[in-house]
Amino acid sequence: MVPTLDELLDQIAAVSGAAAVDADVPLTQLSDVDSMDLMEWLYSFQSEHPEVGADAALFADDDGRTTLRVVHERLTAGAVAPA
Amino acid sequence: MATAQLAGWGAALPSRVVTSEEVAARFGVDEDWVVGRCGIRERRWVGPGETTASLAVEAGKAALAQAGLAPSDVAHLVVATATPEQPSPATSAFVQHALGVTGSAHDVNAECSGFVYALVHAAALMRLDPRPALVIGSDTHSLTTDPADRDLGILVGDGAGAVVLTPGDREWFLGFDLGADGSRTSSLQVLAGGSRMPVTEQAVRDGLHHARINGNEIYLNAVRLTVATVRRTLAAAGFTAGDLDLVVPHQANIRIVDSIVKHTGLAPERVFTNLDRYGNTASASIPIAVSEALASGRLRPGNLVLLAGFGAGMTWGSVLLRWGGGEPS
Repeated sequence: MVPTLDELLDQIAAVSGAAAVDADVPLTQLSDVDSMDLMEWLYSFQSEHPEVGADAALFADDDGRTTLRVVHERLTAGAVAPA
Repeated sequence: MATAQLAGWGAALPSRVVTSEEVAARFGVDEDWVVGRCGIRERRWVGPGETTASLAVEAGKAALAQAGLAPSDVAHLVVATATPEQPSPATSAFVQHALGVTGSAHDVNAECSGFVYALVHAAALMRLDPRPALVIGSDTHSLTTDPADRDLGILVGDGAGAVVLTPGDREWFLGFDLGADGSRTSSLQVLAGGSRMPVTEQAVRDGLHHARINGNEIYLNAVRLTVATVRRTLAAAGFTAGDLDLVVPHQANIRIVDSIVKHTGLAPERVFTNLDRYGNTASASIPIAVSEALASGRLRPGNLVLLAGFGAGMTWGSVLLRWGGGEPS
């Protein structure tokens, strides 16, 4: 249901066209990946897994330090959180 | 019962061209970054003396001339705008007077969905009162955007587009879907200037009279809501995406348009875009695009064409037309 971290990175790379995506680089510093790529991935994920309840808050980045590893942790936590 | 047919169309654009190179320099980024992010190479911004109403008047004149009608023939004028001439009265009052229209005049504010809303409202009105209606979408978001706001600053363009509806016996309107989700008002909003927050010196100092966008929310919901409205309108009318000859989406951002096309299964070659030259002109984007599609031959009599938009609010709307109408009713 929820992708593994590697699967998430591959999916983001596929959406954005980036050759590779680093899990530990802050989102704002990812080369070849921008916020619309992330939202495009999220739209597809929401469509396929509406039961997870993922939303744009996954990518909240108040301190500029959010990475895709953090996003994956949030995604996993949200998926297992009790309803 | 008489139905509405589109008898005239036209557009008006400011003469000032603002290139993405110029915008990029303002924000300290590369031109390629701007174009890659939104697909916009240039846009038009109003200059001195140009306003939402003045653009609307020029577009209205062009549409009336195309239809062979005089302003005095117009029974109802509907202006879609989110950047009014002034807070009160309605922009349509200024347009009505300048054009010499003597019929009713009112505004519709559904943000970037405004033209689709106004078109449907006018067509519905004509079922009760089968006399010509003039529908105009006009916006000047360059004037409401914070000059330091890169997210909006690269997108916005100014312009107006118009259509004239006249009574006819061939059915042009095959279906529509209008809707809104008022729980999402914070996705794109101007906080100051209304009863909730009147304009004050402090509000202006804080820039609250400028539009503010949550780009992620807009992207997600623009795609989700537009995909849904397209599907509903097609399904209700008994058509599929493959039946469409042309789709004219709100010219928001090429990335959003591409995503909508992908997720609805629309044929990309049947989707009309001109935002590379005009940017996001809000309520005006669809009628400007329709006018260009007609001028270029992309839209022809007999075509099945879908107009679809979304806007702040959030609002959405789509309308399915048989250009030239079906068999006489």
